[in-house]
Amino acid sequence: MEERKRYSGKVDIGLKSPKYLVELAKVDKHFGSNHVLKGVSLRVKPGEVCSIIGPSGAGKSTLLRCVNLLESPDSGNMVVAGQYVDLARPLDKRSLLQLRRNVGMVFQSFNLFPHLSVLENISLPQRRVLGRSAEDAKAKSLELLERVGLADKAESFPSKISGGQQQRVAIARALALEPKAMLFDEPTSALDPELAQEVLGVMKEVAASGMTMLVVTHEMNFARNVGNHLVVMENGSIIEEGDPEQIMTEPKLERTKQFLSAVINH
Amino acid sequence: MSGFLAVLAAVPITLLVTIGAFAVGIVLALGLTFMRRSKQPWLRFPAQAFVDLARGIPPIVWLLFLYFGLGMGVIKLSPLQAGVLGLGVVSAGYLAEIFRGGLLAVHKGQYEAGEALGLSAWTRYSKIIAPQAFKAMLPALATYFIGLVKDSSIASVIGVKEMVFTANQYARRSDDGIYTFFLAAAIYIAVSIPFAVVARRMETKLQESAK
Repeated sequence: MEERKRYSGKVDIGLKSPKYLVELAKVDKHFGSNHVLKGVSLRVKPGEVCSIIGPSGAGKSTLLRCVNLLESPDSGNMVVAGQYVDLARPLDKRSLLQLRRNVGMVFQSFNLFPHLSVLENISLPQRRVLGRSAEDAKAKSLELLERVGLADKAESFPSKISGGQQQRVAIARALALEPKAMLFDEPTSALDPELAQEVLGVMKEVAASGMTMLVVTHEMNFARNVGNHLVVMENGSIIEEGDPEQIMTEPKLERTKQFLSAVINH
Repeated sequence: MSGFLAVLAAVPITLLVTIGAFAVGIVLALGLTFMRRSKQPWLRFPAQAFVDLARGIPPIVWLLFLYFGLGMGVIKLSPLQAGVLGLGVVSAGYLAEIFRGGLLAVHKGQYEAGEALGLSAWTRYSKIIAPQAFKAMLPALATYFIGLVKDSSIASVIGVKEMVFTANQYARRSDDGIYTFFLAAAIYIAVSIPFAVVARRMETKLQESAK
């Protein structure tokens, strides 16, 4: 209510975008009779690394997937990189592609295209989405492969490289489109700890480059040391939000304390 | 010997009916597949009904209907046209199911990755989904095609001069009798095997390239 009042001055949608790169207001979503997002509002500033944690089934991934409309919410409003979206209405194709152009995504299951080489995986979207020439796309791809430490794997097929390497390629593929924000949906959950570390290392580097990131994760060290905005979700709502260090050391809610001690001591 | 040559001379007609019906089937099945995946019920339901009818009515009835039934109206089809169209309609029903299976075999994450990257629907399907679905469908497509080589013989009932029609004609006129049909059977096998070999080669090649 308080926030509603704060923003109701100009436009009656509860949003004020320039200060924030990603802004969600009262996002509501059902899966059948299951109320998975209960009017969630979230603001992420440019360059911020926002980690979203919480028990499974809390709605973390669903919330993240609403940002690029892989899930369509029932209602709410959103501004992403200056583009306003009324979530209650279906978005036209053009605006949808525009939105996705601004937002990159990395999945838990990597989702590289298995019939294309590593290089083609990164180059094809650049050519199709940005209209880059084959040469420009290739140059950009190789530059990014260098950045994620996989220059020697350009010609490999995804099934021939490790999970951690696949995920680094997936990050490069998303970065190649020069998004304004990146979404990471449990990027290390399918990896064993050692491979997870190399992916986290790349993510840390991406964060350091100034990229705005929304990360659904169980990696508390990443959330604490790399993240500068922590969101705790439970049962379709954000229950606590703020500075990661502060929440991890002095959670306001008993529920947050419980959850943190469960994941940190496991 | 002349029976053999007569049946052999009918091989091009058999292949014409087979390939023609397969081509008609592929084109129709592509349309049906897009209709069935549409969000619009008025596209989905007719497509589903078409698939059910195409598969539910015996091919021979389709051919008789298209040849004699339509003939009573305005459109008059030649036996060959009716044969290709009729078997094409039946093929469309089966191929639409094969396409559906192929699309289902592609992991959901592939669709999502394509969407998240902002690729257009055309690019997603042509560059990402179709190549993977094709790989999954190839064995079923090859089996259907080889089956169609033989099933094209159904067109003999409306007078398409393919192998079985020719064998039948020859058997009645000569003393060879059933022997002519044995020859026809041998020729069917000789025609099918190269297709099977090509299909297996393609499969191996696809496995290697995408593995």
